[in-house]
Amino acid sequence: MNNVYFRLLRYPRLVLAVTLLLSVLFFLVLKKNTRMETDLDEYMPQHHPAFVYSNQAEEWFNIKDGILIAVENADGIYNPVTLQKVIDLTRALQKMDEIKKEDVTSLYTMDNIVGTESGLDVKSFFRQVPRSDDDLTALRASVRANEMVYGRLVNPDETVTVIVAEIEDDSFSQAFYNRLLDLAGSYESPEKIYVAGRPIVEGTMALLGPRDMRRMVPIVIAVIIFVLLLVQRSIKAGLFTLLVVLLSVIWAFGLMAGAGIPVYAVSTMIPVMLIAIGVADGIHLISHLRLFLLENPETDKKTAVFDMVKEMWKPVVFTSVTTAVGFISLVTSEVYPIKYFGLFTAFGVMAAMAFSLLVIPSGLLVFGLPRWKNTGNIEKSYENRLLNTIALRVLRHQYSTLFITAVIIAAAVFGTTKVWINSSFLDKFEKTSDIVLTDAFINNHFGGTSMLNVILEAETVDAFKQPRILRAMDRMQTDVVGSLPVAGNSFALSDYLKRMNKVMHADSAVYNVIPDTRELVAQYLLLYEMSGDPENLWKVVDTDYQKANVTFQLKSDNSMAMNHVIEQIEEHKPALKELGVTVNYAGSGYKGLVFTDLILEGQIKSLFMSLILVVILLSLMFNKIAAGLIGAVPITITALISFGVMGLLNIPLSTTTALLSSIAIGIGIDYAVHFIQHYKTVAAETGDRHLAGQKTMQHSGRAIAFNAIVLIAGFLVLLASVFPPNRDLGALVSMNMFTSFLGTVTIMYLLLTVSNIFIRKNPR
Amino acid sequence: MNHKQRLIIALIMLISAPLRLSGQDDISGLDIMRNVYTRPTGSDQQGRLTMSLTNSRGSRRVRKIEQFIKDTGQEEKKIMFFISPADVRNTSFMNWSYGEAGRDDDQWIYLPALKRIKRISSESKSDYFMGSDFTYDDLGERHPSEDTHTLLREETLDGEDCYIVESIPREDGYMYSRTVSWVIKDKWIGLKKEFYDEEGELLKVLRVLKQEKINGYWIITHTRMHNIQKDHTTEIRLENLIVDAGIPDSRFTERMMKRGL
Repeated sequence: MNNVYFRLLRYPRLVLAVTLLLSVLFFLVLKKNTRMETDLDEYMPQHHPAFVYSNQAEEWFNIKDGILIAVENADGIYNPVTLQKVIDLTRALQKMDEIKKEDVTSLYTMDNIVGTESGLDVKSFFRQVPRSDDDLTALRASVRANEMVYGRLVNPDETVTVIVAEIEDDSFSQAFYNRLLDLAGSYESPEKIYVAGRPIVEGTMALLGPRDMRRMVPIVIAVIIFVLLLVQRSIKAGLFTLLVVLLSVIWAFGLMAGAGIPVYAVSTMIPVMLIAIGVADGIHLISHLRLFLLENPETDKKTAVFDMVKEMWKPVVFTSVTTAVGFISLVTSEVYPIKYFGLFTAFGVMAAMAFSLLVIPSGLLVFGLPRWKNTGNIEKSYENRLLNTIALRVLRHQYSTLFITAVIIAAAVFGTTKVWINSSFLDKFEKTSDIVLTDAFINNHFGGTSMLNVILEAETVDAFKQPRILRAMDRMQTDVVGSLPVAGNSFALSDYLKRMNKVMHADSAVYNVIPDTRELVAQYLLLYEMSGDPENLWKVVDTDYQKANVTFQLKSDNSMAMNHVIEQIEEHKPALKELGVTVNYAGSGYKGLVFTDLILEGQIKSLFMSLILVVILLSLMFNKIAAGLIGAVPITITALISFGVMGLLNIPLSTTTALLSSIAIGIGIDYAVHFIQHYKTVAAETGDRHLAGQKTMQHSGRAIAFNAIVLIAGFLVLLASVFPPNRDLGALVSMNMFTSFLGTVTIMYLLLTVSNIFIRKNPR
Repeated sequence: MNHKQRLIIALIMLISAPLRLSGQDDISGLDIMRNVYTRPTGSDQQGRLTMSLTNSRGSRRVRKIEQFIKDTGQEEKKIMFFISPADVRNTSFMNWSYGEAGRDDDQWIYLPALKRIKRISSESKSDYFMGSDFTYDDLGERHPSEDTHTLLREETLDGEDCYIVESIPREDGYMYSRTVSWVIKDKWIGLKKEFYDEEGELLKVLRVLKQEKINGYWIITHTRMHNIQKDHTTEIRLENLIVDAGIPDSRFTERMMKRGL
């Protein structure tokens, strides 16, 4: 193996040519076959029981995501101009391709179930715009009298009315959203028109995140190049280091395209990962080369380059393998995009390893060594003095170091307990963005923009005609909406029956209850079918009356809110169970919740798995379990601090922030491996642990410091991102680099020295 | 047959042959639809109506109804009693429609569980009959003068020679933009009808599956309406039909609605 490698390096031009040729091929494949996956359903684990059930329920009751268009007139909506706009907007929405005609609900299309002196009527609130004051007053009165509409389609102040347009699955696009905004804009003033709803939030997020990444990544790379040049002080070295990263990104995406796997939103993080991890190898190689040249100024390039690969190939392979293993553990995730993310990042890491070991030495052999002007004494350089100071202080104040580390770990563990999971899409937007403000506006005036569908299933046909079951359903609705402010409203079969019962008893509020007998329920329903649109009923109950759909409107889409509502609903489970009714959940909000939980569960699982794997791998590499355990210290601390800071700063764990743990491990382990490997070599040579420590600090410690500086500078650029999750990412990756670096040169260094491993007993 | 007689017959044939031929060609869409409209169906009818509703997922609901219809020429009165499902048994529905232009139907419903008769306003939103795919208009006969009729072509359907007539409503904003009817020649019974929605797209297809000659009248006893857009189907079957039984006017009263069957 070794021999093959060194023999290969005898033909540097051939190596470069073959690598570039293959890269061009990968690039062509990438250009030809890459496609972005924008269909959010493709991200979901469709075989997961919760998803299977929800999708089925969505079909039973035609549950779709709704876009909400609110029309606000501060002087009140009951005037001919505003009402005409409601009609026009309703019709315009009905004509859009993404929306079915019958899926638009507004004051104009809504059924008004009213009692007349002689009976019941289901009619429109208005067909033509009422013009006279009398007609407008009558309309206002009929809306106020109808609890199915008042507070749902018209706010209690009567200054806002909302139009709900349910859209076909996966039909959201930026173009559609723009058309909606244009449409809304064309009806503005004096009215204000707001557009909100889950499809908008979800769709915009899916577009905004990756787009922002695409804009930011080049700047990140530019900064990394700049800082790389600064620390390596050679354009040639910097370019080679970067070439490794770029080629590995091309290969990873080329392979992805070649395998016919689309680019998911999370895949846009792969370049970020590869940049963060891939530059390390180059930095360490070049740093070694530079030190070697300083010590042996008269050597020729061949000797220097071969010394570099001879000394460094092991740590480069070790670090890359451990990092790749960390990412491969993501393959256990149930979520396909995450699986692929792990797989292709691992491939990219291995590719970067190959390029570091082949392209960098070959490049140096072909194009010559970098000419470092500064041939001054490395021992006098600033970073070296700093590192030496750290090393000295750490050893001198061993107990303080341990104590401070313990305190930091304790604080991090405490913070970790405060970490909360958030599946909210809305929380990913700027608090002052239109999308958040619009949502807040509608939530202030109405039941809520987020939906949770509760599916009740009975054992027998016609169960949902039985008053006791309907009453249990109604009790659940009243309890949840009454006790949780976040649950703004609910809507179900019970609401139809209560309304009809009331109307059939001369609008007497006493009768705003579930009818007393099954027969009366059945006859009301028949009556509704005869006078209203029965299609409306099939959104709340199935035709066998064996399944029912209760929709709760929530004022927030974050996980906490939804979990609270679910907890409250669960309290009604036993009572419903006694009636033979089971409770399940459906809808895209619920699926989002399950999805996030799944992703996080997978990520945390893989985090632990990769920690264990890393300890095993390190133990094998260094032939010592102690080395494995010591090597795992910086990454454990890094991961703990990462989660701890999130908990303390109230940054919720989301799919993006959870990915950070992978970076923490991937990079932390690199630092540790380089450090331990060099320490081991020097310790074997000298047999003096202090000398070994000092030399390692100068060699690996220096490279690690460079590595950390380059990446921190690069990732801090993300703080300028317009998409909050990307900002969190930038800040947390930077922090992880710093803690990994610090953990390696302090506590790990201390443990390594104190533990005396790699120092032969009785060497003298 | 003598010579003279033979001559007369020949003459009649000579005169009538081109007449008949041109008659066949010249019959207008309006004539055809008028013939359908005026086809005698008896002055009253009584029978068991079975209505099956099937939605796009294949779930089926069946209702059995006993119905009485009387047509006085001036007005059509109809009373229906639900037999099944059991929980709506004896719920009754009465409809009076009037020949006078512009006069809305009167409708009543009796809910036995409430023991009360309620009027249903005829300006109700849904024009559909009991959640079926038939509108009240589809069930009743639309007066030919309300549409402009064009004979499109002739073709054979289910072994019957048919005229195909397109009817476009004169009034603006009617629920259908046009309908196309297949009418059996000579019997003047519709065999198939396509309904196009306001956007001009095919909405529903009506198929007549069975006509029976009862008491000398051609009566349609089995039809199926398929809403293409919603993939929802309604089948109506009439059984135990009695035509011209002489149902008294007293059958169509609120008292009878309450009494049930």
